[in-house]
Amino acid sequence: MRITEQTTLNKKRRPLVLLFILTLLLLLLSAVSLGVGAVYISPLDIITDLMGTGASSHAFIIQEYRLPRLYIAMIAGAGLATAGAVLQGILRNPLASPDVIGVTKGAGLAAVIVIVLFPDSPVFWLPVSAFLGAAAAAAALMLFAHKNGVKPATLALIGIALGAIFQAGIEYFMIKFPDDVNSTLLWLAGSLWGRGWEQVWMLLPSVPFAIALWLLSAKLDILNLGDDLAIGLGQKTKQLRYVLLTLSVIIIGMCVAAIGSIGFIGLIAPHVARKLTGSRHKFLLPVSALIGALFLLAADSLGRGLFPPIEIPAGIVTAVIGAPYFLYLLRREGKKA
Amino acid sequence: MNRASKQKVTIYLTAFIGIILLLIGVVLSISVGAADIKAQTVLHSFIDWDESKEQVIIRTLRLPRAVIGVLVGASLAVAGALMQAITKNALASPQVFGVNAGASLFVVSSLVLFPGLSSASLVYAAFLGAALGGVIVYSFASGGGMTPVKLALAGMAVHFFLSSLTQGVVLFSDQGKDALYWMVGAINGKSWTHVELMLPWSLGGLILAAALSRSISVLVLGESLAQGLGQKVTQIRILAGLLVIVLAGASVAVAGPVGFVGLIVPHIVKKLVGGDYRRIIPFSALFGALLVVYADILSRFIAYPFESPVGIVTALIGAPFFLYLAKQGRGIKQ
Repeated sequence: MRITEQTTLNKKRRPLVLLFILTLLLLLLSAVSLGVGAVYISPLDIITDLMGTGASSHAFIIQEYRLPRLYIAMIAGAGLATAGAVLQGILRNPLASPDVIGVTKGAGLAAVIVIVLFPDSPVFWLPVSAFLGAAAAAAALMLFAHKNGVKPATLALIGIALGAIFQAGIEYFMIKFPDDVNSTLLWLAGSLWGRGWEQVWMLLPSVPFAIALWLLSAKLDILNLGDDLAIGLGQKTKQLRYVLLTLSVIIIGMCVAAIGSIGFIGLIAPHVARKLTGSRHKFLLPVSALIGALFLLAADSLGRGLFPPIEIPAGIVTAVIGAPYFLYLLRREGKKA
Repeated sequence: MNRASKQKVTIYLTAFIGIILLLIGVVLSISVGAADIKAQTVLHSFIDWDESKEQVIIRTLRLPRAVIGVLVGASLAVAGALMQAITKNALASPQVFGVNAGASLFVVSSLVLFPGLSSASLVYAAFLGAALGGVIVYSFASGGGMTPVKLALAGMAVHFFLSSLTQGVVLFSDQGKDALYWMVGAINGKSWTHVELMLPWSLGGLILAAALSRSISVLVLGESLAQGLGQKVTQIRILAGLLVIVLAGASVAVAGPVGFVGLIVPHIVKKLVGGDYRRIIPFSALFGALLVVYADILSRFIAYPFESPVGIVTALIGAPFFLYLAKQGRGIKQ
């Protein structure tokens, strides 16, 4: 299961056109997303409301509920997808992703602890603790994997086991503090329900980290060539890996702190992106980010629009879409082998 | 003393210690809890029935709970042992195989969609779901040779998928909190009706599994060899698969998806008594029961005075063991 598919690398697709099309799609979906929900708002009203000229009664809903959710979905989706693409690159494992290796669950557990045990603590502790949880999970993973010689397969297994431990922890808090069960349940599944501007501000700091990753994309390409070659080309592979890993974990921590442990975005989006644009990270990362944003936005809109007024958490939608795709990937890998 | 008889002694000794520990566990399980009951009272209640408050608690609450613990543990562990044998995969178990998640989905959906459903029919729903989850994972993991890693990943994906659906169903119901508790796997608050519900399936499954154990031992040696020895390989596999569905399905229908029992117990048992399935299956039943009964006792303390679902404890014990198996790596054929 190698990540570099030489064939796709050689395929010349115009990446800029692709980026343009994806951006267009994202804008289109945003317009739809703003209209969908318990209260349907027509596209015309949305435009006039956003311009500030409309007298429609929906301005409040759009400004206070739908718009922040739109931003959150875009930033978090893009962040998770970028982090996933980088993880797949540095671990050289197409199945690596924040959720498979247990990092999301670690962040989720830390966040749940803060919500349940210190409900009065200031808001900024939430992303910090989620980051710490994600970092602890990543550190544990590296520790176990390191002793074992970082075989991609064992890495996935260790991640699953760590995820199960964190999951048990989250469930423990859920049972012990049943009054908070609804908020913890949302954390487990991952949802954008009830998220507002506060979470947008919480997520914004992740953007510079994602840009930093993008600036390092040339180094990621070199890492992909294999350690021997990368060292020969003068890269300090070990340090580089740690830097990239830390940046990704920071992004994951922030995303999980804002929306809970939403699965499969960091896994699926990079795969789709790699199919579309090949594995050069300079283009792979932005394309992944856009696809991740599209994916999460679509999931959130679907969850909101399918059975109004009941909302299905976006994490459930991403799992229902993502798991079959993951199985398809697995099957294809199996046939290749 | 020669090697064979030495081994025999070890096995008898293991069985003896296991049974003693299980008996102690059951007595402890009956006496420990929100209302502490003396062990003497527990023992006394088996012989002489006076209608004291303690004895009422024992008869209506604690005893059925302990019995359910034994049944669930034995069923899940034997289901795991059967799966590891027929797939020849060290990580095969009801949980990894999506069997538990499938059964949960069907049980929760039928609870929500048909609230008037009798609990006996819940068992059939669980069987259907268990079969569905198992078949999906098997069909995806087996393409191009089933490695443990592929099985684990496919199982995880199916597990996520099915449990997401379950969470979705829970959202639409009013009894979200109860369903949530159940989904972790819990055996508290069970009554004799649950025992009655589970006993025939579980006991029947265990007996059939023991009867099948000789053929399974031969099967593990290799398919062609098994065929040469006159075993009907396909029939044995199908029968074992059905037993897995019955054993795991019945457990999930009553106790919810208690995780990791079916994964870790067969491994421990293999270390203790060797690779012969005529021994592995009965010993898996014994040690599975042991694990769940003691995990259930622990579960009363981790959030004292609240009771926690036993599934949390088995996950906390089981996941590190899974880590250990993954770390061994070489033991698992890549």
